[in-house]
Amino acid sequence: MQGYFTQRLLLTIPTFIGITLLVFTLTRLVPGGPIERMLAEAQLSSGETASSAEGFGSQSLSEDQLDQLKAYYGFDKPIITSYLEWLWKVLQLDLGESTRYGESVWDSIIERLPVSIFYGVTTMILTYLICIPLGIFKALKHGAPFDHASSAFIFISYAIPGYVIGIACVSFFAANLEWFPLGGFVSDEFEELTLWEKIKDLLHHAFLPLIAYMAGSLAVMTFMMKNALMENLSADYIRTATAKGLSFSSAIKKHALRNSLIPLATHFGQNISVILSGSFLIEKIFNIDGIGLLGYEALVERDYPVVMGILVISAVLYLIGNILSDICVAWADPRIRFGEAK
Amino acid sequence: MLTPQAKKRWIKFKALKRGYYSFILITVLIFLSLFAELIASNRPVVIHYNGELHFPTYGDILPGTSFGYDYQWEVNYKDLQKQFNLEDKGNWLIMPVIPFNPLESDFIEGEYPPYAPSIESKHYLGTDMAGRDITSRLIYGFRIAILFSLFLLAVTYIIGVFIGALMGYLGGTFDLVFQRLIEVLSNIPILYVIMIVASIVTPDFWTLVLLLAAFSWMGLTWYMRTETYRENSREYVMAARAIGASHSRIIFKHILPNSVSILVTFFPFSVVSGITSLTSLDYLGFGLPAPTPSWGELLQQGTANLEYQWIAISAVAALSFVLTLVTFIGEAIREAFDPKKYSYYE
Repeated sequence: MQGYFTQRLLLTIPTFIGITLLVFTLTRLVPGGPIERMLAEAQLSSGETASSAEGFGSQSLSEDQLDQLKAYYGFDKPIITSYLEWLWKVLQLDLGESTRYGESVWDSIIERLPVSIFYGVTTMILTYLICIPLGIFKALKHGAPFDHASSAFIFISYAIPGYVIGIACVSFFAANLEWFPLGGFVSDEFEELTLWEKIKDLLHHAFLPLIAYMAGSLAVMTFMMKNALMENLSADYIRTATAKGLSFSSAIKKHALRNSLIPLATHFGQNISVILSGSFLIEKIFNIDGIGLLGYEALVERDYPVVMGILVISAVLYLIGNILSDICVAWADPRIRFGEAK
Repeated sequence: MLTPQAKKRWIKFKALKRGYYSFILITVLIFLSLFAELIASNRPVVIHYNGELHFPTYGDILPGTSFGYDYQWEVNYKDLQKQFNLEDKGNWLIMPVIPFNPLESDFIEGEYPPYAPSIESKHYLGTDMAGRDITSRLIYGFRIAILFSLFLLAVTYIIGVFIGALMGYLGGTFDLVFQRLIEVLSNIPILYVIMIVASIVTPDFWTLVLLLAAFSWMGLTWYMRTETYRENSREYVMAARAIGASHSRIIFKHILPNSVSILVTFFPFSVVSGITSLTSLDYLGFGLPAPTPSWGELLQQGTANLEYQWIAISAVAALSFVLTLVTFIGEAIREAFDPKKYSYYE
């Protein structure tokens, strides 16, 4: 078992390198990278003071200065060399500096972490709290009117992407009925509120985004629960248990339920990366300043150190999440022995 | 033509009313959208002028001179209609139900767009910020989105089936290398890549199809690999090999037909993800170049201008409607292909 997990852990290394190398190369191929953007900005601001007759055609920086700038950001070397340099820095937990603000990438990520974790964790807890009971109930009432009605509803929430549900919520409940604020994480005067008002304010802001976040995973998890339970209910060991004289309900509680939770456990690891990175589309709509939005803005502004930083974090989390899933499965199901000879 | 098994599945699918009616409805919608020019256009369906019939929808533009005007460019059909009504010489023309082209800005005198939905102005769902008819843009946007996702589906299926079958059939190093590649590719945030590429070139329809396909063939490949792997160890494959069948014959004539059912169950869900991807890219402004009619672009206008509610509502409603239909079909197909029947011991 240990050998299996060591092997899994080692296999994440080539994957991690593959992911980062591919995106790193792409960012290098883009014309109009950070240097060009900075030049354009510098020219714009100098154009306000000096005569703008120079225009964009002539360089306001000398070749020397330009080379210096390129060397500073590592744009003067071939892709592989600068990738290795970047990787070496990452291994020392240095993600570099944002080309936009000069701020350290770590700091900007950590600054936004609480917001993303709040949404990620709340979404996950709520999803499990709703999906497990709902899935069990649907499995027991399979084919009943409630099952059909809730299935239709869940399919609709599955079919429509979360951010579109977000748009619908914003335009109806926030803009039209004005029940909820249009966006943001908390109100501007948050600091002056009492603790009770702070909680209320937070929930008031969080209600609509949470609906948008939950919409997608709700369907997957509920059906996973329902199908797993139904499969177990029709399994032979339940028949044996009831034949021995165990009541149907305690057969479910003692035997079927635990076995049905295995697929949900598999899914748990994959949630880790979602918890942290969130969905930038939803964050964009609700104007929540989380990691998703940070990544999106960095992409638009071509602030590639930030893009790469977020990619590193999400890739690591995803890879860890996969292994965590395996551990969860092994824990939930003692029959599963990874890596042992059959 | 159908094998008995396929026939049985088709009968089971037809019995699942929600999915079956969704299937009929979406087929009709796709068929109608192929003739969108007859439904929403600024060109009339039929013109009757001086005893002659004209069908200007398809074909060359009709210059103003052919209707007695003194200009060479395309005749203004709205003026023409007014003139016909005034003259009362037995000339007539029939406009489509929605008499607006998706790219055409309509300006009502003394008012600025967007215009609210009104039956009188024939903007049944109103206009967008540039005064373009929303109904018309929704119809053409649907056609583009559905064709886009069908082409995307075709490309991903070809790649996925081919590589998946090879992985399962060859195994060994080939399998291992592609496993890593798939892991790498499925970990890359696809929107990141497309946004970066979109800053180099403005993507057109086909670039987007290929770009999205390059990052979405993996899901199917995985299933195809497992399926091939399983079929490969069956007796009939062994028998085929024993009589000397070539590798390609075994893959294409024996294994593929037996694993095709898994492909069918993924079909509707691939369509959903195709439409969703295109819409979110358009929403962010990294999709098809303006002024292509697009649902994502309408969503973007709607969220940027929440006070003009009809924009967001039309786009959300249309998108939800179509995606729900396709998901219903997918669910019914999955159920029809599922041999399991649950029995309880209560």
